[in-house]
Amino acid sequence: MRVLMFTWEFPPLISGGLGTACYGIVKGLLKKGVEVDLVLPTKEEVYFPMRKVSDVDDLPVKFLSPAKEIEYSHTVFKNNSERFSFIGISSTPESYISVSEVKTFYEYFKNYTEKIEFRTRVPFHEILNNISGTEDIFEKVKEFTLRAERYARALNFDVIHAHDWLTYTAGIIAKSVSGKKLVCHMHATEFDRAGGSGDPRIHNIEYSGMTEADSVIAVSKYTSTMVVSRYMIDTAKVNVVHNAHNIDLKDFEERKRIFKDPVILFLGRITLQKGPDYFLEAAKIILKKYPKTRFVMAGAGDMEKKIVHKSAKYRLGNKFLFTGFLKGSHVDEMFAASDVYVMSSVSEPFGIAPLEAMSYGLATIISKQSGVAEVIQNAVKVDFWDVELLADEIIKLIENPDIRTELGEKGRQEVELIKWDRACEEIIQVYEKTTGRTL
Amino acid sequence: MIDLIFYFQVHQPYRIRNFSVLDIGKGKDCFDDDLNREIMLKVAQKCYLPTNKLMLELIDRYEGKFKIAYSITGTAIEQFKKYCPEVLYSFRDLAKTNCVEFIGETYYHSLSFLYDREEFLDQVRMHREAVKNEFGFSPVTFRNTELIYQNFLSDLIWEEEGYKVILTEGVDRILDWRSPLYAYKDFSRNLFLLLKFYSLSDDIAFRFSNKGWVEYPLTVDKFVKWINDLHLIEKGGKNLFLNLFMDYETFGEHQWEETGIFEFMHQLPGKALKSKQIEFSWPSDVIQKANYQPESISFPEPVSWADMERDLSAWRENDMQYNALETFYEILKKVKSAGDPGLIETARKLSTSDHFYYMSTKYFQDGDVHKYFSPYGSPEQGYRNFMNAVTDLEERI
Repeated sequence: MRVLMFTWEFPPLISGGLGTACYGIVKGLLKKGVEVDLVLPTKEEVYFPMRKVSDVDDLPVKFLSPAKEIEYSHTVFKNNSERFSFIGISSTPESYISVSEVKTFYEYFKNYTEKIEFRTRVPFHEILNNISGTEDIFEKVKEFTLRAERYARALNFDVIHAHDWLTYTAGIIAKSVSGKKLVCHMHATEFDRAGGSGDPRIHNIEYSGMTEADSVIAVSKYTSTMVVSRYMIDTAKVNVVHNAHNIDLKDFEERKRIFKDPVILFLGRITLQKGPDYFLEAAKIILKKYPKTRFVMAGAGDMEKKIVHKSAKYRLGNKFLFTGFLKGSHVDEMFAASDVYVMSSVSEPFGIAPLEAMSYGLATIISKQSGVAEVIQNAVKVDFWDVELLADEIIKLIENPDIRTELGEKGRQEVELIKWDRACEEIIQVYEKTTGRTL
Repeated sequence: MIDLIFYFQVHQPYRIRNFSVLDIGKGKDCFDDDLNREIMLKVAQKCYLPTNKLMLELIDRYEGKFKIAYSITGTAIEQFKKYCPEVLYSFRDLAKTNCVEFIGETYYHSLSFLYDREEFLDQVRMHREAVKNEFGFSPVTFRNTELIYQNFLSDLIWEEEGYKVILTEGVDRILDWRSPLYAYKDFSRNLFLLLKFYSLSDDIAFRFSNKGWVEYPLTVDKFVKWINDLHLIEKGGKNLFLNLFMDYETFGEHQWEETGIFEFMHQLPGKALKSKQIEFSWPSDVIQKANYQPESISFPEPVSWADMERDLSAWRENDMQYNALETFYEILKKVKSAGDPGLIETARKLSTSDHFYYMSTKYFQDGDVHKYFSPYGSPEQGYRNFMNAVTDLEERI
């Protein structure tokens, strides 16, 4: 069986949350013998023919245009990043920031690059070109959609799989051109991203994508409920496949403390959706009782300024710190330096970060308003709005290092059981059910 | 007679690098050596070296009639030595002319007098030592960071060796009907106060190249005429002190060479000295030249030369600034009582007022001077780096 898969991210090209999930899915599918032709928002019209498991890391490329394909095959690249710049793709996770944030990010980076231009040490220009204003993402989606027809005509496949609204329109076009069945995968709805009503244009795309789809995959029951109740999608075609992770378990030996006292970590985008303000309120309560505790808010986002100002207003001294945007290896370092991880999301379709935290043996507290709460037992679960309870739970973990260690260790073992192989079996079942064909 | 008193502020802070929580406790230097070098070299080329050369020429040409004053911070002197010693040599050459007065201040250009008087006095003494060692001059005149002044500053300075004159801003709300052209005395300690004449100072420092300004372009003739006109306010023969205080970086850095700022300065002494009623003086000359008993003047609230408000709000207005200042001075106490000289030095470099200035959100959206001077993308980024650097310091105790 071969899948034509549209997605907006794939590591290392673009590695946001969606990219991480797609990597796990494609790898899992390849293990089970399912082939994938992967289409990404590249400048050149190329696709990635995934045939064997190692391809998820090697990322072989094929051009749709034969002339270009010849040019490409005659070009020698020193390394992968040179190869990727030839096909024109950058590495900013734009799909996992909401449209309202794009502008903030753009201004943030623009401002930043203006200041440091003379230093030349930070190659921010590439990022700037990628995030260039509110409308740009719709332009890119339009361009991506227009190309879908050519992909659908040129390639041979059995089923179409589209990830999130950015690729739904491409999926619809490919379906109508090829007559093949369409599976729409819902990683995050606009309701989740916006933390409110969101952009109506995106809702429309989400609605038409899932309506046109022959099957819908939701990453949690939490999300499937939203798909059914808010988008009025036929329950019969909605399937829940919980996300998994590609995280390697870390040794406790790798723990590298920064502070002597307990470190409570928030790691994620600092946006309404992630509930950073609830984390701050809890910190305020806890610091009254345990003034030596360190709270770290890691990440960037459109609410960052607000939280910075508010934490200063509460005069939390240097007990509530910010890291700014963290890159991959720094994320690892940050986890390794923390004791308790808190995900205070207001609405989280799945939520991979707590799994990552648990893989480090961190005691983890997650909001009940998340998909991950459905699959994890060894984490403390609280309603995001219940700041008092959140504070109490954190205090319990501060006061009882033994409980903290035990919860961390159990969570670590539990995480190991959540595998993409299991999720991919379920995805293949969806393919089979949808196409009426067996693998 | 009008005494034209030019005092130039020379200062460079140790800018903090992008400092993440993850850099804490790794023994990393929190200051951005590359950036500090780059800025020092740039400002040396554009301002310090050419302006010092010009000042030296003018002093030579007018044989003692052209006099100026500098306040050079300890952090600037250190960075001259480290990145561009020629600048220090050229200031020493100026010192040798005996036409230059050196002014005392806090070594680290800090706000310590607001939070930690002991630390403030330590820094004042350090600066006096540095000025003595580098330029062979014992300061008689004091200026607090950014001309910040308030009555109790006199009490502190009065107890210090040698000081007789303090410089501050001629703030309207304090002066009311009075003119900044007269010499004043402080409220309680009989120290002279000289007040910056901000309109003419800022004509040079800020408006010189502003094409939207009605007086643009500012010619030397026009400027000298304005100075002569000031004399009309005094009928009784009292000496007036026109205090033109500004950042030295005005020359070539804030006002680029192309604006004609060097040419302006080049011509000014000659044309001013043609007028029989204008002389160039040092701030400390006020002690002899005030031919009347100066009125005493009270500054119950702090003033400064920064922003439109001319108060402390450039460094202490929003929550980030308050939290950063309070946290810093608490940690400074801990560092000092622990006694490690290396850590104390780092802490003091962090006391420089610029770090708090970068956190100002007052005009950030409009792209004001705060933004011009800030090495960071946003006040929040400045805050983040500072707080992480301070935390690193605390963890190293």
